Amino acid sequence: MKNLKTLIVFALMMVQIEGVMAFCGFYVAKADAKLFNNRSEVILVRNGNRTVVTMSNDFKGNVRDFAMVVPVPVVLSEHDIRVVNRSIFDKLNDYSAPRLVEYYDEHPCAPIMREESVLEFSKTMQANYTSMDLAFNLNEDYGVAIEAEYQIGEYDILILSATESDGLRRWLTDNDYTIPQDADEVLNPYIKSNMKFFVVKVNLEKVASQETEYLSPIQITYSSDKFMLPIRLGMANADGPQDLVVYALTDQGRVECANYRTVQLPTDRNIPTYVKSKFGEFYKSVFERSWKYEGQNAVFLEYAWDVSPQNRVKCDPCVGPPPIQGDLAEAGVNWLNSTGKAYFTRLHVRYERDKFPQDLQFQVTPNKERYQARYVVTHPASGDFTCDEGQAYLKDLEMRRSKEVDELRVLTGWVTKHQSGYINEFSNRRLDRQDLEEERNEFIPTGSSGGKGPGGNQFPWTLPIVFVSLAFFIGLTSRLVKKLEAVRSVS
Amino acid sequence: MPLHTLVQERRFSTPVIFKDPRLFQLTALGSFLIFGILQLGWQHDIKRFLTLISFTLLAQCLAIVALKLPIDSWKSGLISGLGLCLLFHSSSFWVLALAPIIAIGSKYLIRWKGTHIFNPANFGIVIPLLLTNEAWVNTGQWGSGVMLAFFFASAALMVLMKVGRIDTSVTFLLTLFALESLRSVFYLEWDFDVVFHKMMNGSVLLFAFFMITDPRTTPNRMKGRIIWAALIGVLSFALTSVFYLHTAPIWALFIATPFTLFMNHLFGGKTFNWKPISHITKQFKQ
Repeated sequence: MKNLKTLIVFALMMVQIEGVMAFCGFYVAKADAKLFNNRSEVILVRNGNRTVVTMSNDFKGNVRDFAMVVPVPVVLSEHDIRVVNRSIFDKLNDYSAPRLVEYYDEHPCAPIMREESVLEFSKTMQANYTSMDLAFNLNEDYGVAIEAEYQIGEYDILILSATESDGLRRWLTDNDYTIPQDADEVLNPYIKSNMKFFVVKVNLEKVASQETEYLSPIQITYSSDKFMLPIRLGMANADGPQDLVVYALTDQGRVECANYRTVQLPTDRNIPTYVKSKFGEFYKSVFERSWKYEGQNAVFLEYAWDVSPQNRVKCDPCVGPPPIQGDLAEAGVNWLNSTGKAYFTRLHVRYERDKFPQDLQFQVTPNKERYQARYVVTHPASGDFTCDEGQAYLKDLEMRRSKEVDELRVLTGWVTKHQSGYINEFSNRRLDRQDLEEERNEFIPTGSSGGKGPGGNQFPWTLPIVFVSLAFFIGLTSRLVKKLEAVRSVS
Repeated sequence: MPLHTLVQERRFSTPVIFKDPRLFQLTALGSFLIFGILQLGWQHDIKRFLTLISFTLLAQCLAIVALKLPIDSWKSGLISGLGLCLLFHSSSFWVLALAPIIAIGSKYLIRWKGTHIFNPANFGIVIPLLLTNEAWVNTGQWGSGVMLAFFFASAALMVLMKVGRIDTSVTFLLTLFALESLRSVFYLEWDFDVVFHKMMNGSVLLFAFFMITDPRTTPNRMKGRIIWAALIGVLSFALTSVFYLHTAPIWALFIATPFTLFMNHLFGGKTFNWKPISHITKQFKQ
């Protein structure tokens, strides 16, 4: 009897199955916490209408259970498909991940320069897939045609075209795939849009062990005016929101979404030093809060930078080594010898069916502005603070820490019982302690989280309020201009 | 006390922005911009807005001085400037300075039978897109939403009731909606919310209610306007679905400009002229 074969057609990339779930999210420093679950990664390279899509493949388990279906706009030829080294994803991720920067205060009584340091922000992630061997039998009754068949790396690849979704679904079912019911509905629009289906399984003879922990990412290259990611297929079987991280490389500038808002995450914020040990959790909260605040239907910019070989400052500060020419070539950048320019964008999308009815459409813009999601902790100076500058420093330190705690609350909604201890950590070293009680009340943040920025809910009535205020302003200006005109006509 | 007595005794006067549709339009576009800055994360773009608005006003002032125009024309100038702010992007200062000059310049330099033919904001967007590598339009920047549609539509309605160009918006939106529905829902078999999401896109709505309704660059007769707006709808649809052009409506309007002249030739009609005070207020004054 054949094994149970379950196929989940995943957005861009994959066939996913229950039971083998192994999305690990990503780790911060030594924290072993699971962060973004249901997360997948894609490298998108775009130059003119040439697109290179690299799909991460962190499948773990028996390779017999792996399969993947990707809608593609054209029939791919053999040299348009290749396998690449997994390390390219780790490299791009380490380089562009949201970062925590540490600064050290100079000693106020005897200033000494200290250098900044950066907390390494590394992560791992896994996708979970499953499926079965593909039985490459063609039956004309299905209306399914095998356009091409290749063996590349450890994979057997088929490119299918179909005339109707029912046939394709039956073909997959009869070849022992279990298609989620909802996927059937989404298959039709792709078939009608003349998309082909890129179906992948592992060639068991090409892998040393069936229990491998490593399958190569697959890279496909095609020319098409469409610059998009078909996320709708992946929603067919989704249980809750899914995270997608896109690393985009272009010869022009930033990549942005053309049919959803592309929003920058709050950046360059000073946060308390105690966040350092749980920076991963912190960033997860920042993202989640921003995602909710923006209506759960925006695409978030996490990083944008010029990574051209001649650009010396590829990050500031760097959390991972910047991609070198070889890495860019591995990702599919083939124009460096002619133009020498490459721009990197990292986008993070958390999508689900209700909020993302359309596939993600992208556009390349000439925007070369840098951006990074960067958070700062500043360590206090230590030693003797009895000099005047030292006393002033302690006062400022309390103020600063109070602001950091407020910032943390606005960014993440976190309110901890340690925060007043954190603010007043150095208070006992102040010589004017008798005045402290009074001042302290000002420093300790009170009230619930909220206010502006990611935290409060979006307020839809801003527009009419702004409208009315502006109407008054414009009314006044207009009267003024009329008077001016009257003066001109008199003179 | 009856309303007309109040008005006659001037205890109650119509707010000035209701007297002049241009002022109302300025208020609407201005509030969209401030809304974007406050709510949609456009605060990073304030420099861009300031550059665009300053150069628009500068160009308009030059035109006022050089051509001895009424000072009143600052309103149309600023409307074009705000239109640019809401659609046009560039990271180059020179392109941001040039776009408003092109927009305002087109009003006074490219004329046919005593009136300008290109929609100034549209011209100011398309020319930098064609000639430089530094400009872009972000069609996703508004997101897509019912609330947005409601505010856009109601603000536009107030302007269009005065200038009588609501037919253009409605025809364009209906044409696009019909074609999109036929393609996406009936042919491709997407769910209806795909079409809804496309039609509720802020950039499409802004274009429909505020760009193709400029009374000076739309055909004079209603018949002409309906054919013209439907043509823009068809062109937008074709450019989106065949060439995957996200900025399709902007190009469609640009391409359709010569047709305005043709429609006016075909159906005649008088060129629209802005009047600072509406007929209604005049009647009250009398």
